[in-house]
Amino acid sequence: MLLIHCPYCEEDRPEVEFVNGGQAHIARPADPSSESDADWEKYLYIRRNPRGRHHERWRHIHGCGRFFNAVRDTVSDRFETTYKAGEPAK
Amino acid sequence: MSGYRLDKGGRIDRAVPLSFRFDGQDFRGFAGDTLASALVAGGQMLFGRSFKYRRPRGLLATGVEEPNALVTVDRGPGRVTPNLRAPSVALHDGLIAQSQNRYPSLKTDFGAINDRLGALFPAGFYNKTFMWPRSAWEKLYEPAIRKMAGLGESPKERDPDHYGATYAHCELLVIGAGPAGIAAAMDAAATGGRVILIDEQEEPGGGALADPAQWAWLAESLAKLAALGVTVFSRTTAIGHYHQNFVVAVERLTDHLAPSQAAGPREKLWRIRAGEVVLAQGAIERPLVFDGNDVPGVMLASAGRALALRFGVAVGRAVVVMASHDSGWRDALAMAEAGVTIAAIVDVRPAVSSDLQAAADALGIAVYLNHSVTGVKGRLEVKAITLCHNDDYLAHTLPCDALLMAGGWTPTVHLWSHARGTLKWDAAFGAYLPDTTVENLRAVGGCSGNWNYGDGIVVATLPSPKPVSKQKAFVDFQNDVKARDIALAVQEGFRSIEHIKRYTTNGMATDQGKTSNLNGLQIASETLSKPVTAIGLTTFRPPYTPQTFGALMGHHKDALFQPLRKTVIDDWAAANGAVFENVAQWRRARYFPQGRESMDAAVARECLATRERVGMFDASTLGKIEVVGPDAAEFLNRLYTNPWKALEPGRCRYGLLLNEQGFIIDDGVAGRMAADRFHVTTTTGGAARVLGMMEDYLQTEWPDLNVWLTSTTEQWAVIAVQGPKAREVIAPLVEGIDLSPEAFPHMAVREGAICDVPTRLFRVSFTGELGFEVNVPAEHGRMVWEAIHAAGQEHGIVAYGTETMHVLRAEKGFIIIGQDTDGTVTPDDAGMNWAIGKKKPDFVGKRSLARADLVREGRKQLVGLLTRDPAVVLEEGAQIVVDPAEPVPMTMIGHVTSSYHSAALGRSIALAVVAGGRARMGQTLHVPMPGGAIAAEVVSTVFYDAEGSRLDV
Amino acid sequence: MSETVAADLVLLDQPFTAPGVRIAIAPAMMRYALRARDPAVLSAVIGRVLPSRIGDVVDGIACLGPDEWLALLPAGTVLENETGQLVSVVDVSCRAVGITVEGPGAVALVATGCPLDVERMAVGRATRTVFETVEIVLWRKAVDAFHIDVWRSFAPWLGAALVAGSPS
Repeated sequence: MLLIHCPYCEEDRPEVEFVNGGQAHIARPADPSSESDADWEKYLYIRRNPRGRHHERWRHIHGCGRFFNAVRDTVSDRFETTYKAGEPAK
Repeated sequence: MSGYRLDKGGRIDRAVPLSFRFDGQDFRGFAGDTLASALVAGGQMLFGRSFKYRRPRGLLATGVEEPNALVTVDRGPGRVTPNLRAPSVALHDGLIAQSQNRYPSLKTDFGAINDRLGALFPAGFYNKTFMWPRSAWEKLYEPAIRKMAGLGESPKERDPDHYGATYAHCELLVIGAGPAGIAAAMDAAATGGRVILIDEQEEPGGGALADPAQWAWLAESLAKLAALGVTVFSRTTAIGHYHQNFVVAVERLTDHLAPSQAAGPREKLWRIRAGEVVLAQGAIERPLVFDGNDVPGVMLASAGRALALRFGVAVGRAVVVMASHDSGWRDALAMAEAGVTIAAIVDVRPAVSSDLQAAADALGIAVYLNHSVTGVKGRLEVKAITLCHNDDYLAHTLPCDALLMAGGWTPTVHLWSHARGTLKWDAAFGAYLPDTTVENLRAVGGCSGNWNYGDGIVVATLPSPKPVSKQKAFVDFQNDVKARDIALAVQEGFRSIEHIKRYTTNGMATDQGKTSNLNGLQIASETLSKPVTAIGLTTFRPPYTPQTFGALMGHHKDALFQPLRKTVIDDWAAANGAVFENVAQWRRARYFPQGRESMDAAVARECLATRERVGMFDASTLGKIEVVGPDAAEFLNRLYTNPWKALEPGRCRYGLLLNEQGFIIDDGVAGRMAADRFHVTTTTGGAARVLGMMEDYLQTEWPDLNVWLTSTTEQWAVIAVQGPKAREVIAPLVEGIDLSPEAFPHMAVREGAICDVPTRLFRVSFTGELGFEVNVPAEHGRMVWEAIHAAGQEHGIVAYGTETMHVLRAEKGFIIIGQDTDGTVTPDDAGMNWAIGKKKPDFVGKRSLARADLVREGRKQLVGLLTRDPAVVLEEGAQIVVDPAEPVPMTMIGHVTSSYHSAALGRSIALAVVAGGRARMGQTLHVPMPGGAIAAEVVSTVFYDAEGSRLDV
Repeated sequence: MSETVAADLVLLDQPFTAPGVRIAIAPAMMRYALRARDPAVLSAVIGRVLPSRIGDVVDGIACLGPDEWLALLPAGTVLENETGQLVSVVDVSCRAVGITVEGPGAVALVATGCPLDVERMAVGRATRTVFETVEIVLWRKAVDAFHIDVWRSFAPWLGAALVAGSPS
């Protein structure tokens, strides 16, 4: 079980308090109706699956309830860092 | 009869004799014995039969690495545990154990014919042989193999024992309480912080337990650890290391006690988070590979030593040690000093240190250097061995009754590997040693290759005049893999150890190759003339040793298996004969049979009563979310398909929720309680999911909105009162709300009181009848339910369950999310374009509704079906075809999603999704079933009161 | 471990005691889910001081998240709730049930199912977390006393799980 540092609680907390929210930094287009089919498809379905550094969203659902972003190494499963939603990608 | 009890010595308590039974025969032992030590003391060298060839097998080891001596321990009904390793079974008075893999008895086993036919069972035999004909596999080969193969029998009765579980936290966890582990714990304890020291054996001490010279130190150290506040657990096996030093261990609490003495949980699962982990698991001695190395009485030198010095048991009256490592000499010398007769020490090496030679000479032990054992005489026990000089193969026979192997040591790196620590090959040790790790983890003592066992060499197989292909030289004792099987695998082209392992099954038994992996690697390496590192190492995976399912389950069984959620009205339903069904985690009343009424009859009665008079239904499980803040309406507007901004306080609206892909995922009614406050309902199963989705959008997409979400699912009990008499039933109970149709129209919500408690009263209907949903704080739910039930008696009220709810809504064509939708249904597919706010520029899922696939012709659409025979109720999930005469496979154009007998209509009804369904109105389609195709006409989804006149009263 | 596992769990109807622990249902109380972007606004609306650090508790109000507080107040305590403010005040008194775990064995008992380092949790702190698969709010009221707030329908399971994990 991973220990995840919640940037809001400022504590390392057990993985069972969290849920993964998929790839981070995919903003919903401001005006979806003006998106082309191809761009909209990209927004909906196209995700990275990197070997190594991966930006992803987590939610401290059974804690402070907040979504935040994390950089996790998909090979070692180590978290490099976590940071609050809205902050630029690290 | 080879083994016997020495007159003195060992850590057993000779003042506490114990009696036990093995295969129906009485034995005696002492407190402190294991089943293995007591059996050897009783002269029992034969412990079991091997898995494949049914060869007689004895004890190999005295630790968890034991591959042969698997036994079944019987502690009473439901407490029968197969496949326990005899050296890991603590002896208690009255213990009952049986050997395995034998029929009819251990000494005479019919299956042993496999051994005589051994040449027919080479590596890959099963893969190669049982291929044709295909049908024979199911009928003949598999049942026969299943009967022959396998280990002990699983217990058939329910396990009556309890199992516990806990989390624990410490700054340092030390795994293994041998001298290295104790030293590590001692160092850390002195600096403060929580230290936990766990060990799998009956008592801490590890290797020191077989070394009386260390006993005084051991006792002193344990007392010191206790004084320093170190937590020490024995009988506790660390079974896995997971991320960030999360170690799972199983503590065995009662199996060492007689069943009558056992109280409390049998085992306890420890989930330990440690700042630092020290692995001090020691090393496992390696067997030597030679012809006949599996005859009972051939065992590891470390086992012979432990039996003598820890348990006071001699493994034989004339013991020979076959060594490639100095540790064999030390064990032999220690045993000799303890009173065991060492007939000879044989060493494959041409020379050893002069100290060892001198010590052997001093004790008068015959020494054969540059010699190897090339054969073992005896089948059920060792009678003699054949010795060969390594250079000229000059052979002679040496009588003996036990042969101890000292082939060097394999550091126990299992947990290091679980932690994804890397290993490096150390040619000097002939073993993989821990190298790097990303965890705060270190290995000390034997498992780090750091020990003082002396020198040795690694030999793949002992020199012999016989080619390996003619030898019964075992590598994996539990899976009966011989050196020649590995050589054969290599000859047949397997190169990677991962493939060799799977082809030969080497290391795939329940011991995970603790004694066989490295020998297998060495043999493959030698056969291929490649270094070991080029062949690889198989991956160790948890658990380190086999565990009970009970330990992994903890108390998650029976009613504690998982929470079963019940509403505050559940007790009433149970007392009134409800039949329940589980919906998500909830238990819901499905119907309320009267007397011996069938489900169909009860549902028909409940439906008719609701349509004709009034029914009441516990809708408390509906998800509820309080959406509060100045931007509440804007927020719902962006999420749901419907428009919300113009909804006036006091009014409700049905909301349809899509995912961003454009598919329906939830629905429910929301009431506007105030300009900045909505009471939103969701489906029962969707409550948590919808709240999570709302939070996601709110926190990450629209953080600018001033709106907050609170789950109120469990705050409110919800009682639906539905039917033409609904208003009359609740009227006398309600205060402060004008219930007249003019003041309180359909799709309105009011706050007031019912039965003197506050209520949010919704005028809504999921039945098509005049209806109310009475929301009251949960603590009053039962009281209000009973009051409504009592008030309804004069109107003939019935309580109805989810089944009737389903029928009533289907009669109206109302969808159930997850039943009539499956995550691929758009609002248009469901015929619900009316729920889409046409003027809204955006809502979640809107853009996707314009994607090509979502607007194409021929999508499956929700329609009604009426069977030609009104008595026939279609099966939900049944496929629909146009032409039932079409040859199989027919073209399937849809399936039935909901199907019931409708009491109100006096016939069956069904909902279905059908390709191009709405263009097929009036067409007859067919539902092929085993008894023949059923014809049904495509109709509107609304079967009852299409005008909705019944609502408007 | 006690023989309390029945097919149908019911909420503890009287306190359960085992060596070193006492498990009981807490008296009814008022609960409010409080949300606000600016704590000062919320504080002004409800007329109470709010803890500012996540996990702190002031006068029965626990800070659970950066914009979230849970008030656990004596029965009958009513918080003001003006509409039109930039706050959310929702009465959730009936949503949860309180379970108290007290005694020298309380820490060990809570640790049977809670993955936090309960021993190191400071007295007076509260947090949302889990007990096995069930979400709870865990409030350490004293060295040997915890208040566990759990949603109503999970309370029978949690009570039974605590009883099952108690020392025999």
